[in-house]
Amino acid sequence: MISSDVVIAFVSLFIVFIVLGFYGKYWRRGDLNHVHEWSLAGRKLGTTLVFFLIGADLYTAYSFVAIPSGVFAKGSLYFFAIPYVMLTFGVALVTMPRLWTLAREKGYITASDFVKDRFGSSTLAIMIAITGIVAELPYIALQIVGMQSVLTVMFSGFANAQVVEEISLLIAFVILAAFTYTSGLRGATLTAIFKDIIIWITVLVVIIAVPISIGGFSHAFSQVKSSYVTLSSSLVPAYATLILGSALALYLYPHAISGVLSSESAQKLRKSTALLPLYGVGLAVLALMGILVFAVPSAMNFLSGFPESSRGILVVPSLILYTLPGWFAGIALLGIFVGGLVPAAIMAIAQANLLTRNIIKEIKPNISDSSEIKITKISSTAFKFIALGFVFLVPATYAISLQLLGGILIAQILPAVLFGLYVKSLKKTPLIIGLLVGIGSGIYMVEAANSFGPFTSSLFSTVFGPIYIAVISLAINLAIAFGGSYAIKKTQALKT
Amino acid sequence: MRIKKIHVILALLILIPSFVNLGVPIYNRESPEILGLPFFYWFQTLWLFATAGFYFVFAHLKEKHHDKL
Repeated sequence: MISSDVVIAFVSLFIVFIVLGFYGKYWRRGDLNHVHEWSLAGRKLGTTLVFFLIGADLYTAYSFVAIPSGVFAKGSLYFFAIPYVMLTFGVALVTMPRLWTLAREKGYITASDFVKDRFGSSTLAIMIAITGIVAELPYIALQIVGMQSVLTVMFSGFANAQVVEEISLLIAFVILAAFTYTSGLRGATLTAIFKDIIIWITVLVVIIAVPISIGGFSHAFSQVKSSYVTLSSSLVPAYATLILGSALALYLYPHAISGVLSSESAQKLRKSTALLPLYGVGLAVLALMGILVFAVPSAMNFLSGFPESSRGILVVPSLILYTLPGWFAGIALLGIFVGGLVPAAIMAIAQANLLTRNIIKEIKPNISDSSEIKITKISSTAFKFIALGFVFLVPATYAISLQLLGGILIAQILPAVLFGLYVKSLKKTPLIIGLLVGIGSGIYMVEAANSFGPFTSSLFSTVFGPIYIAVISLAINLAIAFGGSYAIKKTQALKT
Repeated sequence: MRIKKIHVILALLILIPSFVNLGVPIYNRESPEILGLPFFYWFQTLWLFATAGFYFVFAHLKEKHHDKL
């Protein structure tokens, strides 16, 4: 049972969070009946705010749940998240200011808007919108799993813990849906700053307090196998391709593009992107918790009360609860809880934009501005509850695996979205075929790598060793897109 | 000629950190340790600061030479 000071700190900060979310409506006031005002906070965010908003996409349940849980279960392989965030900002630094400039000139809100304009193909634009929506869903589900892990640790020992947990989640989601509906991306940005401040404080306290209380890092590393200390040489190709594939994929997610387009200028976007690798420091600390926990007997004892498959998810909240004073643990747990809630809001907004602008408007082109914003708001609410329902229905460990599949899917829109920014010779038909083959081959390889059973691995064994599937299917996709475009150019040249 | 040189510098500012990140054998070792943390972990964490430095210079140069690039 947890002490009351944990609960008091948690609940009072959650109230602050709610107030900020609703206050967002009045912050830097704009006419929220315009799509770009509601979805992109009026494209007025400066260096610091974009830093926090895109940073919010990083400090998600991916960092609190998926990565520490992977380090806990498999060791150093999952530290790939740190070089991945470094590389992804390099990719963004080169490509995103250009997308921002085009979007400002032509009024794009989504990547699909750009693709439709650039290639003149509604089919390709709709396919990219669908890929974005589908790939984003398990990402939202992962956020909910992260929130659930906090509640599980807090409520463990209570009677009817499961019921209390599900009701609390539902309440949190109704509140989230309400303030996203009224405040849009403004509410999400304000709460993102609040959440990131709490998490940064938590990370700093953990990295100082925990090693001291357990007698140094060396004590933790002496408790684990060698696969936790360095990578075995057979996993080097897996590590490198996980870095590359994830780095290429992050900025293709609809919510990352929303963050980019909400920036006030290309210069400010570039500056904040350049500094974002610093966020990785916090991520590194969270990842290390997957190893530090082995040296904390009380936390390990607590974890042993849960089935092995779900222990990883609980590593970070239980380590916090068993090493920090109660009131501070309450603050830190709240940070992790809203660390799932805020990204879920940003992601659902991005999905809703794709659905309204790139799918519904494509079918019914003469929707008025006011109905467009209404449909966007309602569908963003719907997407949140779809993800919530998903989490209630399937086991938590499954949500993490599906997120891996989401990464493989979203990587396939890279040829059209990123190369489309620079390469003039690309044609729509090879891009469509490349996208379909990329998705098809990705799904097939995931199935094959897991012997057509539950998803646990996203690595495919090749002659070079295990390789991240997103990279293989992206390579096939790129070969088709470029090869096909070249062939079309040649045949056209022959005809004339 | 000047513009060409700046292009090379800009490319290197992105490529050097990427090369180190993807060159896993460079940092896949246990020692030297710092505070009991294996090289593999502390090197990648500290490299984050270096990377941010490279990227920040990139952003700064890009802004300074905005009209020419």
